[in-house]
Amino acid sequence: MIALSHAPLDASAVAAAVADGEHGATVVFAGTTRAESAAREVVALEYEAFAEMALDSMRAIAAAVAHRHGARVAIVHRLGRVAVGEDAVVAAASAPHRAAAFAACAEAMNLLKADVPIWKRTIHADGGTRWDDGVAGALTAGG
Amino acid sequence: MMTVEVLLFAGLRELAGRGSLRVRVPAGATPADIWARLPVGGPPPAGLRYAVGGAWADASFPLRDGDQVALITPVSGG
Repeated sequence: MIALSHAPLDASAVAAAVADGEHGATVVFAGTTRAESAAREVVALEYEAFAEMALDSMRAIAAAVAHRHGARVAIVHRLGRVAVGEDAVVAAASAPHRAAAFAACAEAMNLLKADVPIWKRTIHADGGTRWDDGVAGALTAGG
Repeated sequence: MMTVEVLLFAGLRELAGRGSLRVRVPAGATPADIWARLPVGGPPPAGLRYAVGGAWADASFPLRDGDQVALITPVSGG
């Protein structure tokens, strides 16, 4: 299961997607919106993707990680507004034993955060917003 | 000259006021030539990467007429 979703994520469904009769270990990671960022109250995050490339990239990551660790890997990422306490991403990995399942899940998340074209905007309680994309404050419109 | 479709996302999309635009570039242009033709001021952000046709491409990738070039600023998923 590799997907982008505007609806709330179902971690148990992502875990079920990697179920395998030969696999005795399943690790599920959920990345959840926190109530605070840079000492400012956060009400939500908002995610945007280059969807076609993001899905291709997530598929490639899942396949590479699965191959390296003898695992099965599933990744689902939210798009749009994600309220505090909701999951923005769920990654699940199953393998015959726990070491490979932990490693596969961690590696899938590391690669996702480095290379999948998805961007996050933080929406603060005071109404301020900020994209986390290296652009904020560095550029001006209309140059 | 040739025309390429440029895709912008997140803060860069908002700064430019649109998510896609067509830009005219000379024959032999590369993704590195696109920044100067965007409606934004300032140098390219550190860590800017490119994708042509949805696949990662170097800044020196030889573009062809009609290519789709995405400007990928540092990502922040997860």
